[in-house]
Amino acid sequence: MSTTGHTTADRPSGRRPSAVDAGLNWLDDRLGVAKGGRVFMDKIFPDHWSFLLGEIALYSFVVLLATGVFLTLYFVPSTAQTVYHGVYKPLDGVKMSEAYASTVNISFAVRSGLVIRQMHHWAADVFIGSIAVHMCRIFFTGAFRKPRELNWIVGVSLLFLAIVNGFLGYSLPDDLISGTGIRIAYSILLSIPLVGSYLATFVFGGVFPGNGVIIPRFFILHVLVLPAIIAGLIGAHLFMLVRQKHTQFPGHGRTEDNVVGSPMFPTFMAKTTGFLFMVAGVLWALGGLAQINPIWQFGPYVPYKISYAVQPDWYMGWLDGALRIMPSWEFAGFGHTIPFEVFLPGVLFPGLTSILFIFWPFLEQKLTGDRAEHNLLDRPRDRPRRTAVGAAFLAFYFMLFCASSTDVLANFFQVSLNVVLWTFRFVVIVVPIIVGLFTYRICLDMTGAPRVGKRKRAVLIVRSATGEYTTVEAAPRPGDGHQELEPAPVPGFIQGPEDGEEREPGVRRVARRT
Amino acid sequence: MRNLRRTIRVRHLVPVGLVLAVAVGGLLVSLSAGASTRARTVPSGSQALAATPPPIRYVGNFTSSQVREGQLLFEANCSSCHGDRAQGAVGPNLQGLGPATVDFWVSTGRMPLADASVQATQKPPRFNGQQATAIAAFVASLAPTGQGFPSGIPHVDTRNASLAMGNRLFVLNCAACHTITGAGDALAAGAYAPSLHVATPTQVAEAIRTGPGNMPVFGSGTLSDAQVADIVAYVTGPIQHPNNRGGLGLGGIGPVAEGFVALLIGVGGIMLIAFWLGERA
Repeated sequence: MSTTGHTTADRPSGRRPSAVDAGLNWLDDRLGVAKGGRVFMDKIFPDHWSFLLGEIALYSFVVLLATGVFLTLYFVPSTAQTVYHGVYKPLDGVKMSEAYASTVNISFAVRSGLVIRQMHHWAADVFIGSIAVHMCRIFFTGAFRKPRELNWIVGVSLLFLAIVNGFLGYSLPDDLISGTGIRIAYSILLSIPLVGSYLATFVFGGVFPGNGVIIPRFFILHVLVLPAIIAGLIGAHLFMLVRQKHTQFPGHGRTEDNVVGSPMFPTFMAKTTGFLFMVAGVLWALGGLAQINPIWQFGPYVPYKISYAVQPDWYMGWLDGALRIMPSWEFAGFGHTIPFEVFLPGVLFPGLTSILFIFWPFLEQKLTGDRAEHNLLDRPRDRPRRTAVGAAFLAFYFMLFCASSTDVLANFFQVSLNVVLWTFRFVVIVVPIIVGLFTYRICLDMTGAPRVGKRKRAVLIVRSATGEYTTVEAAPRPGDGHQELEPAPVPGFIQGPEDGEEREPGVRRVARRT
Repeated sequence: MRNLRRTIRVRHLVPVGLVLAVAVGGLLVSLSAGASTRARTVPSGSQALAATPPPIRYVGNFTSSQVREGQLLFEANCSSCHGDRAQGAVGPNLQGLGPATVDFWVSTGRMPLADASVQATQKPPRFNGQQATAIAAFVASLAPTGQGFPSGIPHVDTRNASLAMGNRLFVLNCAACHTITGAGDALAAGAYAPSLHVATPTQVAEAIRTGPGNMPVFGSGTLSDAQVADIVAYVTGPIQHPNNRGGLGLGGIGPVAEGFVALLIGVGGIMLIAFWLGERA
């Protein structure tokens, strides 16, 4: 297939052109696909497994699109009231919105509707989870450095868009729990000083719960606007990736100027197609085996009704946790109230988070003064300060995430809810500091600072012929070989062919600039 | 050498096998879930009957032998705190609280008290139902039942109850503390709303009518006997036996457990696959 771009005349004589060749030639004559196809098929993918993390997100998104299309066929995005007379008897005769009734119907009456619905929900959870893990890989290995700052910004935008779209989708069934979530979103909008009440009225088409417009609006955002933007940004993400070529871990034969790995065709294509099916398979298994969001148990949303023990989906946990542990500060005066207890954790905090994430590459350039191009990745331990900051931030958001389940923790461990709340107020500050300092120290130790990690030699007590006792250091035993543990050169932890060595089968090395 | 080559070839088939296994498994799972849709219908609590019995029968007439048995049990197990005539000592005065109150605390295992903490914890009950009734009979025999307390131990007849009404009343009155799935949750300052998953119909009715601990009393002016029966039917029906179609119920505590599964099994599992697949060029 490597002859895609050639004409039949270039072929080695004796081989007749196959039907595939003929078809490709036909396309090439009309669209000129050969040149692009050549670039695409020769794209080199590094073989390290961590380069597949982003693909988990990509393939979860594929599953989200496929299952989402199925769901739109049966979901009715309307808050018009209807009386349910369906398969699920406990709700028989209950007044509810069309949105809720259709979601119950998808779960009970549509063939394999529940499996698809649950796959969609699990895929959303996994989508955002894999984005987070992928982002950690990019951050801790310094893959966001010049020339890839733009791609980092696109990736961060994708993360936040995915979170927003997840929340919108979670809200659509109009069940008791998600309705409470919309109520919180309304209150957060309200808390913005000066414009809050206007903004909330604008979004909801009136005072909460609005005039039945919020579900249709969320629906269009969820199934059309945001997916289109996300898909476009994914395209841009991948385009930049192909254009700039992959980063790679340092190792033998790997330089700033080349990329070592498997070509798109045939090796990587087989691998990644298999991976698509495996991701879809895991999501399918989850959708069939583990229940998620059993909305028929919750009942329809009615503004004056509420259930306790309500958490958002996991990716909203850090916001919910921040809201929960915020002390109740508010300003009242001049005829206005500014509820800082909602505005700070609900608006200002996610705003600052997104700004910090987006501008991190530039912030780091400012701090380190390193403005050079980097195609070789850092080992996290070799950049102790960045790694420590990253670990501290992870700990911070993880603690906030845990704080969103204060009630569940209090109930499970049978301690006072107030104690849990106050514990988290301290823990979110203390734990990141400790984690950061520990990480910094561990990084220093692992990079092989002088004498770190060397085992003490055994000391022998020797009695001389005259009866005198002396102590001598024993000779190093074979297993003790720490003598050579000098600061190791940074590259070299990926095994690969040296220049001139015999190459591994299937691994190709190409120059970065062609 | 040939052996080596063959093992490599078999190893190359593993990904294909894995994909097939996962795909076939998922297909089977979804098909079986679809099949059970058609097979399973949710039992309804409402059945028309010719003669309508009262939804709740309050049994307050006890025999003298029940009272005598209750007195023995009370003196041996309760009197050290409540006094030998239930007049109150370390523990509160029980006279006039009615048999339903006493029966609830004893039959759910809250009494005798484990320790004097914020809230009486539920333990395996020390007395069987008959003994609990006897103790209630003894306490009820000491003083007339006070205003607002049910005159007897409620026996709920849910045959005419409406699950849909029970759902509405439960969401309105109970879910704010006990949660919509009845799993219970922590309240302020060490108090908590207990899980409803093991309560009997009588205990649910007793709790509604007598308001144990932090729970408010829902008297007959708030909820009629028929409405209490609706709630009891909903609690002992869909709450205690939820329709967990779609796989494992994950404890009914919502997104905390779901997020755990999504991150650990979903993302973590796929990362393991990526790790396994990664170096296989």
